[in-house]
Amino acid sequence: MTPGAAGRAAGTAARAGQLRLGPAGWLRWTWRQLTSMRTALVLLFLLALASIPGSILPQEGIDPAAVSQYYAQHPALAPFLARLSAFDVFGAPWFAAIYLLLFASLAGCVLPRAARFARSARQPPPRAPRHLDRLPQAARMATAAPPADAIEAARRVLARRRFRLRSADGWVSAEKGYLHEAGNLLFHLALLGLLASVALGGLFGYKGDRLLVAGQTYANTPTSMDVFRPGRLVTATDLQPFSVTLRRFSAGYVSSGPQRGEPAWFSASVSYTASYGGRPRGYDLRVNHPLNVDGVQVFLIGHGYAPVFKVTDGTGRVVFDQPVPFIPVEQSGLTSAGVVKVPDARPRQLGFAGVFLPTAVDVDGRLASAFPAPLLPRVSLVAYAGNLGLNGGQPQSVYSLSTSRMRRLPLRPVPLAPGQSIKLPDGLGRLTFVGYRQWASLAITYDPGQLPALASALTALAGLVLSFLVRRRRVFVRAAGDGSGQVTAVDVGGLTRSDAAGGFEAEFADLAGEIMRAIGGSTPAGPIAGEVAAVAAAKGE
Amino acid sequence: MSDSGLAIASNITLVLAIAAYGVAMVAYAFDLAARARRQAAAADAAPARAGTPALVGAAAGVAAAGELPGPSDGPGPGKPGTTITGSGGPAMPGGPAGPGGSVASAARTRWPASGWARAGFVLTCLGLASHVASITMRGIDEHRVPWGNMYEFIAAITCAAVLVLVLASARFGAYYLGLFVLLPVVLALAVDVMVIYTPAGNLVPALQSYWIAIHVTAMIVALGLYIFGAVVTVLYLLAARSERMAKAGGRPGGGIMAQLPGSQVLDRLSYRSVLFAFPAWTFAIIAGAIWADHAWGRYWGWDPKETWSFITWLVYAAYLHARATAGWRGHRAAVIHLAGFACLLFNVVVINLWVTGLHSYAGMH
Repeated sequence: MTPGAAGRAAGTAARAGQLRLGPAGWLRWTWRQLTSMRTALVLLFLLALASIPGSILPQEGIDPAAVSQYYAQHPALAPFLARLSAFDVFGAPWFAAIYLLLFASLAGCVLPRAARFARSARQPPPRAPRHLDRLPQAARMATAAPPADAIEAARRVLARRRFRLRSADGWVSAEKGYLHEAGNLLFHLALLGLLASVALGGLFGYKGDRLLVAGQTYANTPTSMDVFRPGRLVTATDLQPFSVTLRRFSAGYVSSGPQRGEPAWFSASVSYTASYGGRPRGYDLRVNHPLNVDGVQVFLIGHGYAPVFKVTDGTGRVVFDQPVPFIPVEQSGLTSAGVVKVPDARPRQLGFAGVFLPTAVDVDGRLASAFPAPLLPRVSLVAYAGNLGLNGGQPQSVYSLSTSRMRRLPLRPVPLAPGQSIKLPDGLGRLTFVGYRQWASLAITYDPGQLPALASALTALAGLVLSFLVRRRRVFVRAAGDGSGQVTAVDVGGLTRSDAAGGFEAEFADLAGEIMRAIGGSTPAGPIAGEVAAVAAAKGE
Repeated sequence: MSDSGLAIASNITLVLAIAAYGVAMVAYAFDLAARARRQAAAADAAPARAGTPALVGAAAGVAAAGELPGPSDGPGPGKPGTTITGSGGPAMPGGPAGPGGSVASAARTRWPASGWARAGFVLTCLGLASHVASITMRGIDEHRVPWGNMYEFIAAITCAAVLVLVLASARFGAYYLGLFVLLPVVLALAVDVMVIYTPAGNLVPALQSYWIAIHVTAMIVALGLYIFGAVVTVLYLLAARSERMAKAGGRPGGGIMAQLPGSQVLDRLSYRSVLFAFPAWTFAIIAGAIWADHAWGRYWGWDPKETWSFITWLVYAAYLHARATAGWRGHRAAVIHLAGFACLLFNVVVINLWVTGLHSYAGMH
């Protein structure tokens, strides 16, 4: 057998040996793959790719109405996409799988590195290599000082620059820039902290929305929210007991120019009680100016009009007298749509659907609102009588009217001004548009992970900056006499493992110059190859 | 509401800035062309003399330290690291003449050698002054930070990119970049003025917060750096390609492209820009999260704009990791860099203008 063939056979045997990995071996192999930089790179890309559908398809957690609309437009595709969690990408199992793998990879890479770093930070720099001219940065100089003095002088220079030192006979090693690795580790560990903070918020936090007409009060309980999204470990008794009353809502709009009709400011004057029975305090709730009560934040997120209606039924009783929130259907004039349900009306239940126009104008025979402020408020309604279908057991939205078992009443569509009424036919009663109030919608959020997340993010940023600004570098100095005791050759070498953006060359040149002055070297510095000649020439003198 | 005098002055100074940048581009182009001509003339004269390669090698050594580019097709970079004189040749020998730090300070500022490059640089600075004046006047006119809509935002990020260009030119003597960085700036500003222009006006209530000064300013700084880095990366890919061709025995290309420095210098410069841009971007996202928490009650809600800034962050993070991974340095890392920039552009252009979300402030209907 030729040596080559023997080598090949040995290689085959080694490969066969590798194939027979035990379970522990496989585990180790998998772990090594997972924690490799290449895998981290791939996972970073995967996470970026996986996020894209979340920004293109409507998302359940952000805009449920858009999701319903998507279902209506793509009836065949939507259920398929829903099966892939495409409408809840950021809560999808496959999305979680990617980021959990990424964080596992991160932890597997960073934690052992942190341990290594902690060990190495306590160790002195390594011995100086024998041939400094092989280092990326090198310089040679000659001096008349004896080697021990030259080393001592170089030591002083390096110590002044706060290098960590180690020296022995004829050489000194210096290292600096541990903060580079420290910053790097800090950044990655802080990302783990960020993940933990987000998880904390997801488990113990909650959020909800509530629409409040001026004059109404909200008490912080799950049932009094229109929408309640609790964290996984939140129960009703965990909610902080406070209440908020909307006293008044006002808004200003741009009245001229190209931005006419755009909102200029919103303001909700509220009073709140921090705990049951406490003293109420006032607060001016605005966009970008939330109310903080009992660690819970209350935000102003929407507004609209709530026309007040009074309905007298066929028997002459007042069966309805309250504001009804109408929902804006467009922003430039704040035309709002809503329904009025009067289940107590006799002999027939009554229902009304219509629009509220803050500044009503007639555009080619059609009613429209020309401005969002209530300059000429009008209400236009369609009336129904019959069965509202409220007792069918099916929950109904307060914003829609089921007219399947109702009859549309023949009425002339005349817009009502505040104070005006319409008399319903067949002695069914009368509806009065009393006036209007404004409503504000509030978002109530509690997130215990908020501050930890902020702290983690800022720590990550600090670590990032640290690792980018600091470079870890080693500088070695060797000095040796030529035997005559007259000339000492001094070599300086340097290397850096993390000179991300360059700059070590200049630092090294600077340092070498300083060392040369300190040892009293007078030979011009230059490439070592040329310098050997210079030293030899010096010897000859 | 017609535009006030200040708003009109702002528009005029912006047009003046575009004009100055345009003329600066011409000057920079003449500079590169003049150098290409000189190089061609030197190449014609060279074959007769044997000593030329040594001279070229010396020039390449200086180029690696940040000086004006030597011919990138010279016979190798000449391992500049082996000399401690690096960029400051005469600093070392005369002990008293070279005080500590002289090497670093020698690399600090460099006035361009050629008249055309000087003209280009001066014009760029004048354009930048006019640009800054335009943005300032608009801010004074509106009584707010002047980056509240798409028009103002583009004016601001191009201003940041030119500022980065001016600083990098002066710091690294990288005057050869002028033409290439100003090109996208002038194009973007032209579109901004002609298509996107929005008259001075108020901020919508959602933007009325001091956080706009923090969050959006950080974004603008990061974007200016990212634009600069992307241009340098494109130049890096071109330079690396011509080096590969030269190595493969092809005729080294001449002309303007040959006036670029070695690909290593460009690679390092683009990396350096990301080293500044990435923390700025990270800070901008954090500031945005704080503001979002103030305004909307959650620090992160996967709004399309947030999602794409996250994607951009991931891709740039991948770029930083790629540079530290064997087999991914160089070409592949540069491609990832450009992918990150593509995500950024998508976020600024497509998401701002066509995707409805909480960040729909472009002010264009």
